[in-house]
Amino acid sequence: MSPHGVVDRPGPLCTIQDLGRRTGRRAGLAPGGAMDQRAYLWANRLLGNDPAAAALEVTLGGFALRFAVETAVALAGADCAATLDGVETGTWRTVRARPGQVLRLGYSATGMRAFVAFPGGLDVRTAFGSASAVVRDGWPGLLGRALRAGEPLRWGDPGRACPVRRVPRELVPPETASLTLPLIVGYEWAEFSKADRERVFDAEWTLDPASDRTAGRLAGPALGSGPRVLDSTPLVDGTVQVTGDGLPLVFMRDRPTIGGYAKLGSVDPVALDAFAQARPGTPIRFARADSEAIREALARRERFFMIQDVAARFPTGKRVFSNTEMSLNRGRRER
Amino acid sequence: MITFPGPVSALVTLPVAPDRDGIARVLELERLARDALPDLRATIPAFSRLLIEGSPHSWDATEVESRLAAAAEACLAETPRIDAGDPVSLPVCYDPELAPDLEDVAANAGVDVAEVARLHSRAAYAVLATGFAPGFAYMGDVDARIAMPRLATPRPRVEAGSVGIADRRTGVYPAAGPGGWRLIGRVPSALFADAAERIARFRPGGSVRFRPMDRDEYEAAGG
Repeated sequence: MSPHGVVDRPGPLCTIQDLGRRTGRRAGLAPGGAMDQRAYLWANRLLGNDPAAAALEVTLGGFALRFAVETAVALAGADCAATLDGVETGTWRTVRARPGQVLRLGYSATGMRAFVAFPGGLDVRTAFGSASAVVRDGWPGLLGRALRAGEPLRWGDPGRACPVRRVPRELVPPETASLTLPLIVGYEWAEFSKADRERVFDAEWTLDPASDRTAGRLAGPALGSGPRVLDSTPLVDGTVQVTGDGLPLVFMRDRPTIGGYAKLGSVDPVALDAFAQARPGTPIRFARADSEAIREALARRERFFMIQDVAARFPTGKRVFSNTEMSLNRGRRER
Repeated sequence: MITFPGPVSALVTLPVAPDRDGIARVLELERLARDALPDLRATIPAFSRLLIEGSPHSWDATEVESRLAAAAEACLAETPRIDAGDPVSLPVCYDPELAPDLEDVAANAGVDVAEVARLHSRAAYAVLATGFAPGFAYMGDVDARIAMPRLATPRPRVEAGSVGIADRRTGVYPAAGPGGWRLIGRVPSALFADAAERIARFRPGGSVRFRPMDRDEYEAAGG
């Protein structure tokens, strides 16, 4: 089948992502998924897509896509000075393209990750109900690697009539020079020293350049290493773990499912989107979080992006693990 | 003990040892929790703990806590029904050329290499947790004579199929990568070639046996 577009340049790291996978969590599979879920969800919403449609996550930019059909795409996330045949397009909007035109993303000046969504979603393989690539997990094909130059792409509904839509200006996330991450204290929090517990909310760290899709690592003042954890403990999104050097890290989408170091708690999952766009060196602080307010915000987000039925996609009946979940499904996801 | 590590999650730590009986009770807790809390999105059992993740639309921490407490009490009250399923059997070549720590473990135990192989392969192990990497299982308990702590400095690369020991636990590296467990044997890497098979092999509470194979057999299986 002929491609709808070809990736001429993938840039430093371009992967296929969606909302991530839940069913494989029990077998040790990373959740995966778009690092900045808000930007990814906006890109799909602009096209009228299923909120979990597979899209491209372009890290830092340096990306070029040559279209083979008349279609539309949506851009959201880091502003990479996108152009279509050299004409600036802007971001947080849909862009119409004709065969032969080239969409280019330059290198982002502020954020870290741009998302390119396609009408009907990318037509790619899924495993455990998700097309998200997790390089560390060793999946075959694009489920386990970044896109390469010359990669052909097809998407679900290239000819769909997509009106020009923009994200309302007041809803575009502001660029921030520094971040305060709401922290729900938990796990071994009470076993850290009093001085450490105070320092967590007083200290300022910066985002370390060694951060990646697995974790955002913080550089700065070291805490005591905390209590010794005898057995690895199941992790939640945004778990803050303190490694042997006393420095906290915040687990992101490609995190493991269990962790063996002492943990302070977890960061508000909604705040992980802004964290995913933070550049190395960004000052980072923690603030005490109100868990109930965060739950309400999560519920609001799922309603707004119409993903309240997300649980139905991730069957969690008594049959928690079966071989049928292992099959690598080809084709578009059900609607 | 029940704590709330995230806005829609709860972590139960049962007052049990992290062993075959302990994980059986955690799995019973998982079953009871799924019945008592209909809107769960994920559950992760590991050692003596169970993590549950719920929906932000229906999560009520007070209600979750009381139902989990009742479920925890119930799973502790009776001897758990252990459903280990069919044991997974894996062939292992215990050869110092393939397993760089085999001779150290033997020396530490005061026995020869063949005795390490015998002690490691005679037990049926219980899978106490999966994770760290997809398809990695923490199994126990290893015979105390051949138990050794993990290396102070992890190796930058451990080959797929390497069988390691860390204290009383044993496990098989499903893919090549860094690792700090003491390596005492190697399962033919062909058994880890298929991603779906590799990921599905072990489940918490399952039973695993290792069958010694000699070097010729190992090479014949593709090494």
